[in-house]
Amino acid sequence: MVQVQVREWALRSLADLLTFRALRLLLQADVVVYDRLVSSEVVNLARREAERFYVGKERDRHCVPQEEISALLSRLAREGKRVARLKGGDPFVFGRGGEELDVLARDGVAYQVVPGITAASGCAAYAGIPLTHRDHAQSVRFITGHTREGRLDVDWSQLTSTRETLVFYMGRKGVGEICRGLKGAGRAGQTPAAIIENGTTARQRVVSGTLDTLAARAEREQVGSPSLIVIGEVAACHTLLSWFQPDAGATTVFPQPMPMSGAGSRAAAASAA
Amino acid sequence: MEHLPIYMQLHGREALVVGAGPVATRKAALLLEAGARVRLRAPEYSDASERLLREQPESISRDPGVYDTECLDRVAIVIAATDDAAVNRQVSEDCVARSIPVNVADQPELCSFILPAIVERGPLTIAIGSGGRAPVLVRLLRAKIESLIPTGYGRLADLAGRLRDRVRARFDHVNARRAFWERAFAGPATELALAGRMDAAEARLEQELADAATSTPGEVYLIGAGPGDPDLLTFRALRLLQQADVVVYDRLVSSEVVNLARREAERFYVGKERDHHCVPQEEISALLSRLAREGKRVARLKGGDPFVFGRGGEELDVLARHGVAYQVVPGITAASGCSAYAGIPLTHRDHAQSVRFITGHTREGRLDVDWSQLTSTRETLVFYMGRKGVGEICRGLKGAGRAGQTPAAIIENGTTARQRVVTGTLDTLAARAEREQVGSPSLIVIGEVAACHARLAWFQPDAGATTVFPQPMPMSRAGSRAAAASAA
Repeated sequence: MVQVQVREWALRSLADLLTFRALRLLLQADVVVYDRLVSSEVVNLARREAERFYVGKERDRHCVPQEEISALLSRLAREGKRVARLKGGDPFVFGRGGEELDVLARDGVAYQVVPGITAASGCAAYAGIPLTHRDHAQSVRFITGHTREGRLDVDWSQLTSTRETLVFYMGRKGVGEICRGLKGAGRAGQTPAAIIENGTTARQRVVSGTLDTLAARAEREQVGSPSLIVIGEVAACHTLLSWFQPDAGATTVFPQPMPMSGAGSRAAAASAA
Repeated sequence: MEHLPIYMQLHGREALVVGAGPVATRKAALLLEAGARVRLRAPEYSDASERLLREQPESISRDPGVYDTECLDRVAIVIAATDDAAVNRQVSEDCVARSIPVNVADQPELCSFILPAIVERGPLTIAIGSGGRAPVLVRLLRAKIESLIPTGYGRLADLAGRLRDRVRARFDHVNARRAFWERAFAGPATELALAGRMDAAEARLEQELADAATSTPGEVYLIGAGPGDPDLLTFRALRLLQQADVVVYDRLVSSEVVNLARREAERFYVGKERDHHCVPQEEISALLSRLAREGKRVARLKGGDPFVFGRGGEELDVLARHGVAYQVVPGITAASGCSAYAGIPLTHRDHAQSVRFITGHTREGRLDVDWSQLTSTRETLVFYMGRKGVGEICRGLKGAGRAGQTPAAIIENGTTARQRVVTGTLDTLAARAEREQVGSPSLIVIGEVAACHARLAWFQPDAGATTVFPQPMPMSRAGSRAAAASAA
């Protein structure tokens, strides 16, 4: 409990997108089982006495195999413990939450599911990129690219609609192949595209371009992990709509309103960048 | 509200305590802490009361004798704590007749005011009450709050009190004063105060006061309020909502969430019914822009996520064009919320490697959707549409080649106490939704994952997701909630 307040002042921006319900259940838990993508600030919100299990998954290198994680959750719960299984983003969007529940349901273990802000929503909000927009996109698709035999396992021919936003839950390594795949299926090289690194955090970076240029730019900027790729007309909105200044944080000071003259550094960046 | 919580000024005023046992003595001590001059009326005095009388002779006095109505002359407040029920009742009736606030220990029905549990940090006082219904719960809550609030808050409140007049003189408008304090209480001065470095904290605050612009900047917070359950609001949304001067909200935002705003905040309802926009989108955007340019901090609350079918982008287009500052707070979009509470994973290694969110705007009476793009069997489709669309969606997908056996579900009032999930297939869902009279708001999920509901459902709308952690289910499958929660 004491930890909560201390953290709250120093680091609250990092737990800022947690929901009330997530915090409450986390505070009740006897055990916390968490992934690589969960910030330590969030994990530290749990009770001091709570046991902690790190089962982090690096991409392409699962530290603890999925079956073992599910078995661990089931075992701990059957020992009578209240287990908080913390996942980055939303547990039902590429979180493999369904697989874990399959095991729990089979073992007769009770559970609850708390939805989270999925990376696409979080990154889009903090990058000023609406996922849907009357003028640009009437639908949005979240795609993960598992590699199979060294190539992305994606049916590019299904991704040709110009009125749809595509969000790839993938890092920089996928950018080149995604852009080539989409162009190969007929998408224009001028289609706007952006990659968001460390979205929503103080280290957020947004690199934007087009299907023709994004791969080279991401390479040049050495975009790292975790990152997320947004493709479609809406990606161009970043220029006009971006507001988040990673240095200042979303939570610190109020930006000043932008004087119409365009003076004032923070204000200008916050309102119109 | 059972009672109106107020803080009463008692400095130098006369308070009467009837009784002089241990309980009466505790009440007298509390009144003394609040600065009252206390009279203890009793025929005899307990050791505890004698001790108190000895300790603070200047502010507490003895008034020996049994209770009679003359004791009530010139008294500002009365507490009765005798072991004689008839006397307690008499005190209560006499006080009520004279409009003197009265409290009778442990008999809420005889009280015109009740005493809350108190968490005290210097001038900062938190009162907790349950209208006399659950004193133990109040005590537990108090312990929780005690543990949450550092002692430094008392010093912080003292510091704020010292600067109050100067802050008032510096800013003409109450909004500007509030903005200054909100910045101060979230900034480095506060951290210094909490760390016990009061001189540094005060110097820092004075510097900030000197540097502060005298007019408040207006700003818009575009906030996703989540899918319905107010418990799914984020902390960031709460914080911005509570500092807003104005709240502009939609039909899909629950009243619990709107009520988290400050009491004095102006509220604008611009609710959109499907097919029947109460306020046209252009007017909403113009309203936000105008309010912010008047210097107000505007919370624009939307159901779900503002960037997923929330038309948030359109509103920001206008704000950016007008040079209005804004922030965006993502929310739990309906697809995430409903799927979590319905036990339907949107992606699943065995069933779906991608998920697509689609809204079906009708154009010339038909859905404007390219069905030929929706044929992948390894993708989950989520339609942000109500029951009216189900028939056309199922027909469209079958027309494009999807199997009639493809699982499908419609979730009504997802995440709330009124959640209902109706499942079926492309062949059967429309008829079932019709038969069950599924209403609005609702969401349609199509794909193999929809079949997971039968196995993975856990949320019991009646019990709520927010009550108790379900007990782990005994392997015997006994225990109703546990069994229902885990295997439904």
